[in-house]
Amino acid sequence: MKKGVMRPGHVQIRVLDMDEALKHYVELLGLIEVDRDDQGRVYLKGWTEVDKFSVVLREADEAGMDFMGFKCLDESVLDNLHEGLKAFGCAVDEIPEGELKDCGRRLRFTAPSGHDFELYATKQQTGKWGVGNHNPEAWPRGLQGIKATRFDHCLLYGTDLDKTLDLFRDVLGFDLAEQVVTPDGKRVAQFLTASMKAHDVAFIDHPEPGKFHHASFFLETWEDVLRAADLISMTDTSIDIGPTRHGLTHGKTIYFFDPSGNRTEVFCGGDYHYPDHEPVTWDADKLGKAIFYHDRQLNERFLTALT
Amino acid sequence: MNNNNQAHPDTEVPTVHHIAVNDQPQGFPASSDLSVLVAMERAGQQLISVGCRGGGCGKCRIRIVQGEYFSKRMSRAWISPQQEDEGTVLACRVFARSDLVIEPDPPEIGTHCQPQDQPDCD
Ligand code: FES
Ligand SMILES: [Fe+2]
Repeated sequence: MKKGVMRPGHVQIRVLDMDEALKHYVELLGLIEVDRDDQGRVYLKGWTEVDKFSVVLREADEAGMDFMGFKCLDESVLDNLHEGLKAFGCAVDEIPEGELKDCGRRLRFTAPSGHDFELYATKQQTGKWGVGNHNPEAWPRGLQGIKATRFDHCLLYGTDLDKTLDLFRDVLGFDLAEQVVTPDGKRVAQFLTASMKAHDVAFIDHPEPGKFHHASFFLETWEDVLRAADLISMTDTSIDIGPTRHGLTHGKTIYFFDPSGNRTEVFCGGDYHYPDHEPVTWDADKLGKAIFYHDRQLNERFLTALT
Repeated sequence: MNNNNQAHPDTEVPTVHHIAVNDQPQGFPASSDLSVLVAMERAGQQLISVGCRGGGCGKCRIRIVQGEYFSKRMSRAWISPQQEDEGTVLACRVFARSDLVIEPDPPEIGTHCQPQDQPDCD
């Protein structure tokens, strides 16, 4: 049942070198730099996003994800969810308004998977970049590279998938849209949605908590995915796999790495999910096809190159 | 252009060095403007495992037994300051400055989903 969590709102990614990272996220991926703060963090967004920012880069000596934030309907939802998280047994940190520029207070907690998540309800709305919301044109001129439209989801590797599902489903109101299950009934992958999208966040079972697999950005068409592949080659960017299609969610996708080794995905298409839909289930012995629908083989790098 | 594969850590004209791998008959040439890992890939060899090529995932960890090199920042998740001092590095973040002798030192990365468990896989 929906609890007022709307969408993935931001992700803070650690990078080893900010200048290199900006070439990746701005010049290649096509996000727009919207601000910087006195900690040296850089704030970015996809051009269709209404809120001020969705990706925050922080220079650090380890790659990976600091946290992923979900935007909620309003401040009273935040208060209700705070109670729910406490009742579930999560320690909740209240981060004051303005710690991220132009963002309201955030509730930070660690999921059983080992990842830090945040809920917030208020962020400055600067509108879609380059087009207004009154008689808007189709798209703005002046976009760079892959022209990613928006931040879509993260895939995270971590521990205790069952308890993580309980938290996201029962406390935060996500649905289980898709899963991978072993013959003895253990869920080894879970794709969760708070919306109609095939996934807003996904988890894969992993012995080490808190690992980051990828942040994903939405493109409109398969042609855009192929064009992304061309740009990835033109710039000699480190590629993982693709262009191809996933069995899980059926999205059409390509994976590549930022210069600090964090994986980026751009994709188009894919399934949708309503709250009355049964979860889609893949058998673990079909994991190859579930992940790479055409190759039908897992590559080892996809499973083990994590930050 | 925007990637570690083409990093130019210094402005000198690139020179080609030879990378020898301990206990292996084959080695590979590495131009000083390519990371040791990417040079290995371009030489069509698989002596070191390839992951992100960006110093984040740890898969390409090696020990440099002999030789001079330049290194860019490497994730502390995989290389402690002490290891770095002792020549344990990520091959995707080091650039040869002389002929090198290296040995692979891949970290244990556990997974619950083994590709070899998959009947579809070879
Ligand atoms: S390949 Fe990932 S750290 Fe070198
Ligand atoms: Fe994805």
